[in-house]
Amino acid sequence: MSELSVSTAVEPIVSARGLRKKFGGKEILHGLDFDIPPGRIYGLIGHNGAGKTTTLNAMLGLTACEGTIRVLGEDPFAKRAKLMENVAFISDVASLPRFLRVRELFALLSNIHPNFSQDKARSFLEGTDIKPEMKVKHLSKGMVAQLHLAVVMAIDAKLLVLDEPTLGLDITYRKRFYRRLLEDYMTEERTLIITTHQVDEIEFMLSDIMFIRDGDMILHMQMETVNEKFTQLVVNDPEQQAAARAYGPVYEETRFGQTVMIFDGVDRAILEPFGRLSTPTLSDLFVALMQRPTANPEPAR
Amino acid sequence: MKAFFALVHRELIEHRGAFLLGPLLLVAVLFGATILAFTVGRVDARFSGALFTVAPLRVYELGFLFFGLGWSLYMISVLFFYCADGFAADKRNNAMLFWKSMPVSDFKVLLSKLTAGLTVLPGTVYAVALLSGVLLYGVAYVTMLINGTATVATLGSIVVIYGNVALAILVSIVCGLLWYLPAMALVGAVATAIGRWAIPISLLMPAIVSTLEWVTLGGLHPFATHTWRFIEYRGKLPETPYVQDWSVSAETFNGVIFATDLISHMDWLQVGIGAVFAIVVIYAASEYRRRVNDN
Repeated sequence: MSELSVSTAVEPIVSARGLRKKFGGKEILHGLDFDIPPGRIYGLIGHNGAGKTTTLNAMLGLTACEGTIRVLGEDPFAKRAKLMENVAFISDVASLPRFLRVRELFALLSNIHPNFSQDKARSFLEGTDIKPEMKVKHLSKGMVAQLHLAVVMAIDAKLLVLDEPTLGLDITYRKRFYRRLLEDYMTEERTLIITTHQVDEIEFMLSDIMFIRDGDMILHMQMETVNEKFTQLVVNDPEQQAAARAYGPVYEETRFGQTVMIFDGVDRAILEPFGRLSTPTLSDLFVALMQRPTANPEPAR
Repeated sequence: MKAFFALVHRELIEHRGAFLLGPLLLVAVLFGATILAFTVGRVDARFSGALFTVAPLRVYELGFLFFGLGWSLYMISVLFFYCADGFAADKRNNAMLFWKSMPVSDFKVLLSKLTAGLTVLPGTVYAVALLSGVLLYGVAYVTMLINGTATVATLGSIVVIYGNVALAILVSIVCGLLWYLPAMALVGAVATAIGRWAIPISLLMPAIVSTLEWVTLGGLHPFATHTWRFIEYRGKLPETPYVQDWSVSAETFNGVIFATDLISHMDWLQVGIGAVFAIVVIYAASEYRRRVNDN
């Protein structure tokens, strides 16, 4: 179901071919192939243990993999340090050094990272409760997330990777986090890759999605194409349901007495007579594609 | 280099308790103890003993040298714990992934930790050793002025003694760091892999290796092996005949002769091998760290 609409003329920011990774003899990634062009906002979505973080770690040079992966044309595992001049990431919001004060953190980063701007970082913190003299260990979880976001946003990077950046934060912080990211950071030259379980919260900002299921890429598509390709049908009448089933819904469930079906690539004009049509949300699509009968070839235990 | 110095600075901030506050606290305690010793009669303030009759200013030499020895022991023990703890700190502090998001290699990070151990801590220790010497001399000189055993003219001799002892402490610290460099690097490398378990493991490792040699190659007992003899050899700085000769003479302490004596008795081939060994184990540890991103 991969639909790479990337123009071959555009040099991808990330390119993977036959990406495989094993942990203790068990293969976690089964030969992923994908290209991520610049200027896009990608959502990397999958169950726990599907291989999202392993894929991100491969992009960030944090783990060695079989196959080929290139980020900004470089092998990330071999050249992680060099690559990090143009790549920023948040892998865990709690990973800021707790012993530092905010001003010490900024001063150190000014000397360590050639593309970090202390002024930008300070400006991103304006209007927050975070003060330069505060120690990271004394900040609340939400403040640490704000600080970490200010740090990565103050780095003039071509690729920003966020792995569950809002884990454990309340809805207010999460919404503020993404709004800030979108308003103050994203430009046409920058690429953003996000993984999160709160897919509905980031759906509005995504340009592309990648679904990973059990180490396989099952969907790689632009959001516009998703909207065109997938249709959700709500149908109540048993006869209409039976008729709609003939078009092979990829997913079907009953919610509050109503039957909901999701179709892949079926013309809306055909489905319209059966009931109410809409575009499935990302979370509906996620559930649909992850729970197809063929979703998990391993027998349930 | 700017990034490297920033990483060294990070170590100072992270370990300022052991690197800075601890020594300053200790020097305050020592200063208090010195004042008490002179004021409550624990020290012969008139320096009327036989030794001081022959060499009246020896209290300055011995006092400062003992302070220097004490600070050197403090430095070595703090270095051991720093290497065992500091090299694993990023993992323990849950900050490994943050530092890996920075454009610095794991080798550079570990090298900065070793460099901090070899420069910042010894620099601080040397500075507080000098400070403790000044405080000791101040208390002793004022005491002697009060009881009439010293004059203003004595001050010149005291300054010369201070300079000589300060030079001796400096050369001892530098030689000691070079001599124990491979041990520190090894402890740091082990800590990179197993965290603070490096403390018992590093202490047990010599005995284990020696025992293995005894079991496989034979010998009188586990501590009569080539390994153990080598460890004993590398465990202490070379002896300096000058110190032995000076301690039984009435001569004033000469820092230049001491430094020359110590430097000439150093096994520089071993120092060179140790430096190469240190770089190799730190590199090996960095390769391990590069492959493991536990946070």
